[in-house]
Amino acid sequence: MNGPTTDEQARQRLEEITRPEKPFNRFKWIVTAVLLVMFLGSSATVDVQLGQITALPERTVFYLGLMFGPPDLGEIPRATTAMIESLGMAWIGTMIGAALSFPLAFLAATNLFSKPIVFVARQILNLFRAVPEIVFLIMLLPVTGLTPVSVALALGISSIGTLGKLSAEVIEGIDHGPVEAADAAGGGRLQRIRWSVIPQVIPEIVALWLYRFEINIRNSAVAGAVGAGGIGTLLIRQISQLRDWAAAGTALAVMVILTLIVDTISGRVRRRIIRGPQRAVDIGADEDDDDGGGRTPKVPGPAPTTAGNGPLAPI
Amino acid sequence: MTGATAPPTTSAFRRPTKPPPPAFAIWGTIGFIAVTLLFAWDWRYGIGFSPAEIIENLGRRNPILEGARNLDWSTLASPTVIAGFVETFQMAAIATILGGIVALPLALLNSVTGAPNRTVYVLVKNFNSFIRAIPDLIYAVFFVAAIGRGAMPGILALFFLSVAVIAKLTSDIVDGIDPGPIESARASGATHTQMLRTAVLPQILPGYTSFALYTFEINLRGSAVLGFVGAGGIGQVFNNYYQRGWFDRLAAVVVGFFVVVFIVDRVSIAVRKRLL
Repeated sequence: MNGPTTDEQARQRLEEITRPEKPFNRFKWIVTAVLLVMFLGSSATVDVQLGQITALPERTVFYLGLMFGPPDLGEIPRATTAMIESLGMAWIGTMIGAALSFPLAFLAATNLFSKPIVFVARQILNLFRAVPEIVFLIMLLPVTGLTPVSVALALGISSIGTLGKLSAEVIEGIDHGPVEAADAAGGGRLQRIRWSVIPQVIPEIVALWLYRFEINIRNSAVAGAVGAGGIGTLLIRQISQLRDWAAAGTALAVMVILTLIVDTISGRVRRRIIRGPQRAVDIGADEDDDDGGGRTPKVPGPAPTTAGNGPLAPI
Repeated sequence: MTGATAPPTTSAFRRPTKPPPPAFAIWGTIGFIAVTLLFAWDWRYGIGFSPAEIIENLGRRNPILEGARNLDWSTLASPTVIAGFVETFQMAAIATILGGIVALPLALLNSVTGAPNRTVYVLVKNFNSFIRAIPDLIYAVFFVAAIGRGAMPGILALFFLSVAVIAKLTSDIVDGIDPGPIESARASGATHTQMLRTAVLPQILPGYTSFALYTFEINLRGSAVLGFVGAGGIGQVFNNYYQRGWFDRLAAVVVGFFVVVFIVDRVSIAVRKRLL
């Protein structure tokens, strides 16, 4: 009697089970709407002449033609020297940032210090992160002048924020066994840090320094804004003042090639530091481990927050 | 005689000898120090970094810090400064959104999982590295020379910066995703594109959105320097005040800028936490 009804119900039920309703994600829609409004609003109001957009493809091709058709090879020595100067600024800057961020990173780690100390340390790190390099650079000009040293100092100071934050995250991820062991053996806070924390974190933190160095190579172009040396200054002078496009093409090529070479070396060293001597199973010859373009925010999923995360080893 | 029993006991628990550090650690440390010294030295390929000189010069008159001591707050209300802030915001928004759209396919193809074959993978990977190797300021100066001053070259520079950052960060999480959904998509006969759409995209979307938001902050900060080569935004105001030596006004704008970036940073971190 009620056979077909049950059947019907069963079919309906099966439908319900096999095709679950797509969950409605309000948050996602809000984000999409905000982005759309931001984009349309900005595009409609921004001060850009239409001519600049329409001329873009043709002008770009034209000037690239001037730069590379053919580039001025006589410029190579000067460009190389300038690029080495940029590398120097980036390296010294990174070392300054490393030295200054190292103690702060410990103070900003929740597993080592109490909440108020961590809070203050984190705010100091945020402060350094929010100020652009150019601001530090301008502040330093009266002290060290229009020199690469000013750029190195500016890069160093502005590296403190990111380096400190990422290092603190490394420190928070340590194994607590050794800390307890040092504690049990009567070690004070400094001794615990020296003997239980530092040996665990130093490889990853050094890898972070190297990765920051790669970023600072790019950031060292900021020197060009005020004319404090390096490849940035050379390129900007060639393009906007001398309009020597062939020379600029050479300088650009030298910059890109040397940047990529240094990236590759630094990436390999970083991988070696993190993974140890065993030969990692390579997926693709040069897998960079993290973002070279920016400062790593927290990533979801299996990738940890530090510089060592490569593609996971194949099963 | 009974007192002499103690030394043998301790010697039985003699402290084990510390293993020598691995060769890599030794050479690595030497290399690190050597590179630092070579770059710090005052010679042809060094920058001549002298801490003593810096400390000595710290005492020199610093008109910029003097300006910072008597900030001219009224500057923040001036139309040029407000226009600069608005333009920076517009540039960052447009560049981040366009860059995010372009970066998504580049990120997928820049991973072993997402690329249809090895050739595409290698090509896209090298393309991304190339884009990433050029600093935003250099993009800006090129486009200013090519199409003239204003917000447009700034947007283009930040666009390339955004593509580089988002593609890099996102492609790093593509290879780390759960392979289960990919297998089931393949098993049910999905094409490569369908697989990306149904198995990969949902997994990387939270990370991708979070990186895009983070790039917005980077773009805001980045726009501070672009104005120095004529590429619009608040940097133009910075440059103007810097060139004229109006350091009291410059300091006020810097503080204003700092507050804006700090707030955006906080909001973005809150949203990102909610995303992940």
